[in-house]
Amino acid sequence: MNNQHNYPFPSRAPLRATFGIALAVLTVFALVPAIAVLFVSFTDLRQVSYLPTHFVGLQNYIDYFGAGHRADNLNALKNTLIFAGVSTVIQIYLALGIAILLNNPKLRGRNLYRAVVFMPTVLGVTVTALVWSLMFNTSGGPIQRVLELFGQRSAFFGDQNIALYLVIFVQIWMVCGTSVIIFLSGLQAIPQELYEVSSIDGANRWQQLRFVTMPMLAPSITANVLLGIVNAMQSYQLTYVLTGADKKGTQVLSLQVYMQSFGGRSGTTLSQSQGYAASISMVQFVLVGVITLTTLWYLRRKEQR
Amino acid sequence: MSEISNGSMTRKGPGMMGETISRSEERMRRHRRIGHIPWLAYLFVALILITFIFPMLFLLNTALKNNTEFISNPVGVVTSLNWGNFSEAWQKGSFGAYFLNTVIYTVCGAGFGTLIALFMGFPVARGYIRGAKFWNLLFTLVLFLPNALMTQFQLLLRLHLYNTQLGYILMVAVGVGIGPLLFSGFVTSLPRDLDEAAAIDGVGYWTYLFKFVVPLAKPALATVFILQAVWIWNEIILATVLFSDQSKFPISAGLFAFKGTYSNNWPLLAAATLIVAAPLVLGYIFIQRYLVNGVLGAVKG
Repeated sequence: MNNQHNYPFPSRAPLRATFGIALAVLTVFALVPAIAVLFVSFTDLRQVSYLPTHFVGLQNYIDYFGAGHRADNLNALKNTLIFAGVSTVIQIYLALGIAILLNNPKLRGRNLYRAVVFMPTVLGVTVTALVWSLMFNTSGGPIQRVLELFGQRSAFFGDQNIALYLVIFVQIWMVCGTSVIIFLSGLQAIPQELYEVSSIDGANRWQQLRFVTMPMLAPSITANVLLGIVNAMQSYQLTYVLTGADKKGTQVLSLQVYMQSFGGRSGTTLSQSQGYAASISMVQFVLVGVITLTTLWYLRRKEQR
Repeated sequence: MSEISNGSMTRKGPGMMGETISRSEERMRRHRRIGHIPWLAYLFVALILITFIFPMLFLLNTALKNNTEFISNPVGVVTSLNWGNFSEAWQKGSFGAYFLNTVIYTVCGAGFGTLIALFMGFPVARGYIRGAKFWNLLFTLVLFLPNALMTQFQLLLRLHLYNTQLGYILMVAVGVGIGPLLFSGFVTSLPRDLDEAAAIDGVGYWTYLFKFVVPLAKPALATVFILQAVWIWNEIILATVLFSDQSKFPISAGLFAFKGTYSNNWPLLAAATLIVAAPLVLGYIFIQRYLVNGVLGAVKG
């Protein structure tokens, strides 16, 4: 279609003006910083502006993969992958379960339940993190009380062995509603006749779930998995508020970028070079891209079967 | 004008039909199994509701205690209602000022972001701008940009916009996310004949955009605006990075700073958290529909 010739209005000038302004603002404040990350990753740019900036070639990447940072970086990488993997998988199964439950037409007040599950989406990281810090309060909070019934105690977010998993739990609590919404709309799009036909054929509830619901839901599952992975690979705001930026047990790639860029106290080796931070950001960008595309390819192939 | 109302009718059509169908089906199913109550389902629902509502109720319970009562019995139900925590937190945390900041950032940022979606999404969807494929790719690409905290900071520093409210507003305004993609998807459902009819009547591009497209696209624009507004309202990292002056913080970052100061006074902190959460929860009742639309639109895109 040669659509661009169909412009019906008298003058193109107003179109060019508003499109141009919007594009200019988007370019300057979103695209330029994003692309600049790549260039900055080859320099020793620092937070303070009066120091001169030098081109250092691949030095930041050599540092990143070098022995000096290996322990820190492998730790952050491991945490990022655990966070993304565990939170996505649990979130998908949990959301699917809740969606199937709420899709039951015999249930009354379904819209209310859906609204409650979706509510944390608007609460945001700070409120969510404070709510759960209170729940996981180490001195006599409700969850500590339950543990005490079994003669146990925990430092919760202070315990570096479990802090990451607690953050994952809170993350799932916060974003699960989005997946539920997507699954519910997917479930409602499945034609009712399919269930009637399959029950005439003698399929039981479980077989219906396995052979009718799941295949029909495949696009929703793909969407949810992708959203979940991309979101989880890049999210760190919740971790930042719940545990701080510099705890080994919850250090993820995005937090490393933040810490290296803007510093503060830290137990890890810190150069406070924004150039180095940019190289971590690029490593993360490539990692997110590769994992997303691989997942997309895998799920699309499964969808077709 | 009749064409306009036609357009809005066709848009409402599918949703309404879907609702009536599912409602009549529901009635049929209920009719088939009278008296059969799914107890197990209700049990699970109860568990879910507890998981999502209990933490909020516990927050309220804590906010109503005084600190001595909280320390002696952190989990007990509050005995004497201590509403003073709210006014104390409001004053000590200067949440009034933070609240005003956040309202300004959210309205300006999401407003500008929505304009970007409108100004770019409409002509791209209509093909009035060359290279629709390229622009659509760009709209998708803005969703996957790398973490650019350090370059965003450096850019504002060099433009002398560091630690300014304008700088922060511009940075959150371009966080358009799914907006342009969502909006250009919606535009394809508006009848193209309308553009031509209006143009023949001598309506200019801007007049058409604001007098015809905006009213017709209100639900879509509201969704775009609300999705971005919720993000900006809860944004915290950019605020801590782009402001050195705490008095310019939005309320989310203000609450985080308050947590740093009063971490040993949970009742006060809980009251502050509720002050921040209350407008969100109240607003949620009104914006829920748009959020759901946004999430579903994002998936289709």
